[in-house]
Amino acid sequence: MKLLIKTSLYYLLFTIPVLLISGLVFFKVITHEVKESNNELLAKRALVIENYLKENDTIAINLINKSFEAQVNKLEVNLNSSKSVFSDTLIYDKKEKEFAENRMITSFVTVKNYNYQIKTWRSTLEYSELVEGIFYLLMLLLFFLFLITLFINLWISKTIWKPFYNTVEEIKKFRASDNEVILPKKTSIKEFAALNNSLSSMMEKMILDYNNQKKFTENASHEIQTPLAVIKAKIDLLVQSKNIDEQDLKLITAIDDSCSKLIRLNKSLLLLTKIGNNQFLELKEVSFKNIISNSLTFFEEQIENSNLEIKQIIKDDFKFNMNPDLCLILINNLLQNAIRHNVKNGFIEIEITKNSITIVNSGNELPLATNIFERFQKNSSSNQSIGLGLAISNEITVISNLELKYKFTLNKHSFTISSKNN
Amino acid sequence: MKILIVEDEIELQKSMQHYLELENNLVSIASTYSEAEFKIADYDYDCILLDITLPKGSGLDLISVIKNKKSKAGVIIISAKNSFDDKILGLDLGADDYLPKPFYLPELNSRINAVVRRKKFDGNLEINCNEIKIIPSQRAVFVNNILLVLTTKEYDLLVYFITNKNRVVTKNALVNHLWGDAADGFDNFDFIYNHVKNLRKKLIEKNCFDYLNTIYGIGYNFKTEE
Repeated sequence: MKLLIKTSLYYLLFTIPVLLISGLVFFKVITHEVKESNNELLAKRALVIENYLKENDTIAINLINKSFEAQVNKLEVNLNSSKSVFSDTLIYDKKEKEFAENRMITSFVTVKNYNYQIKTWRSTLEYSELVEGIFYLLMLLLFFLFLITLFINLWISKTIWKPFYNTVEEIKKFRASDNEVILPKKTSIKEFAALNNSLSSMMEKMILDYNNQKKFTENASHEIQTPLAVIKAKIDLLVQSKNIDEQDLKLITAIDDSCSKLIRLNKSLLLLTKIGNNQFLELKEVSFKNIISNSLTFFEEQIENSNLEIKQIIKDDFKFNMNPDLCLILINNLLQNAIRHNVKNGFIEIEITKNSITIVNSGNELPLATNIFERFQKNSSSNQSIGLGLAISNEITVISNLELKYKFTLNKHSFTISSKNN
Repeated sequence: MKILIVEDEIELQKSMQHYLELENNLVSIASTYSEAEFKIADYDYDCILLDITLPKGSGLDLISVIKNKKSKAGVIIISAKNSFDDKILGLDLGADDYLPKPFYLPELNSRINAVVRRKKFDGNLEINCNEIKIIPSQRAVFVNNILLVLTTKEYDLLVYFITNKNRVVTKNALVNHLWGDAADGFDNFDFIYNHVKNLRKKLIEKNCFDYLNTIYGIGYNFKTEE
């Protein structure tokens, strides 16, 4: 959920009880005030009537009586108190044809030895209407407040959160191999500046670690070359020895094979480092069709050896701008892979279209693991495999703006290289 | 042949010297830049093997020293830095070949021979080995003066065997020679037997002595002497 929506929802959640409570207080205060003013008004009116009585203005009294807003009764009994009493009462309203709530004052006066009872009333505002009014008002307020917060939040996220989103974008683009920290260190918001600073130092550390590791691999591989060269040379000399028996030869062969494997491993690591260092700068338009056909000739003996059937579906030539050496390594690796992990009398199907190449091969009935493009992921028991071929292929496609995908369907393993733009 | 090895790794230097001396070559050694400079100035060589990373100097600088002397020596760069740039730079400066470490000694020998043939005799030198005659410029092989038709691979094998005659050549070295680095991933080298078998058959058919000895499990020896 977006921060904006979340905060707005929380805001809404908290405004509802606040508005309810304030509504209640509103209601209490208003009704109290209304009652007070009514009472005052009625008391004044009773006083006026009393004055009329004192002046013996019968016309005015009759008028008042007829106005249905007051009633003056002459009492025969003696008054025991002259206190005014307020009360709520229902009085039939002829116009509305219903009983309406009224506030009434009943007071007693003595004028010229006559006792009078004065009742005067006033229709009060109906409470239910009041509640309804307040409710609608508050709802309206809630709605507007919500709109305003939404608007403010929107504005905040557009302006105040902008550096944050910038940072997120930059992190997305970050690659330690790019050797570059592009986070802006200065933003007017302290929190984001702190975030950027921490992220920057983290990225710098990552770049440093990455470079150190790269350097280490590179140096180690280079340093290993010379002793390997010595071992290799000594083996070549050792086999020249005249008095060497078959048992010793077997030992030497085993050493030679392992040494060769070590050399291969080292070479592959160096190649990976070089690809990572972007040392293959030369770019040229390469024809995958030609490279594949050369590569197939190169693997001729291997293919014959496993009696593999090669099916080529050439719909078009895939031409791509990349380093020709890397392209050759890429295709060789994938074909080697298709040959190595094949079965006897199996097949390899190569499909070339305008912007992709697919190499399909028969082989193991289980799909390869998902991490096949990682270094040293071996899926086969092949002794010759050092587990770097696919990692190298993947690195090559990544730096060449190509895409390498693996698919397994119906016991067929397929690798597709396609240009990223399509 | 007179060969100068400029290499600072003593063990590798010794191995190269040992292997090259098996074939009556005169091998000199230089372990440092100044030593190499001195020897290049004072003597003539047929071939100079140069390591790029030397104490107190770069092997690449020695190339210009050799060139300034107008020496006819072939120059082969031997480098642990299997870097493409070094290779291009070295060849641009006038080196004749580039061999990355680690390498097979028979391969080194084969490269030396190829370079010297090309440099000294403009490639016109014939390779003679008893009844076998090879004209490298035409890639033609004669046995008892009768033309022998070989495939590319068989021809390369024969030249390689003769260059390294009377020495054991491992099958790994053969595969590396014929298919290069890209052969690294080959699952098995069985197919090399077929090529050797065919070559041998063709040679025997032309009444050539069967010089090829199989050394079980490890490789071959092209024996012309006992």
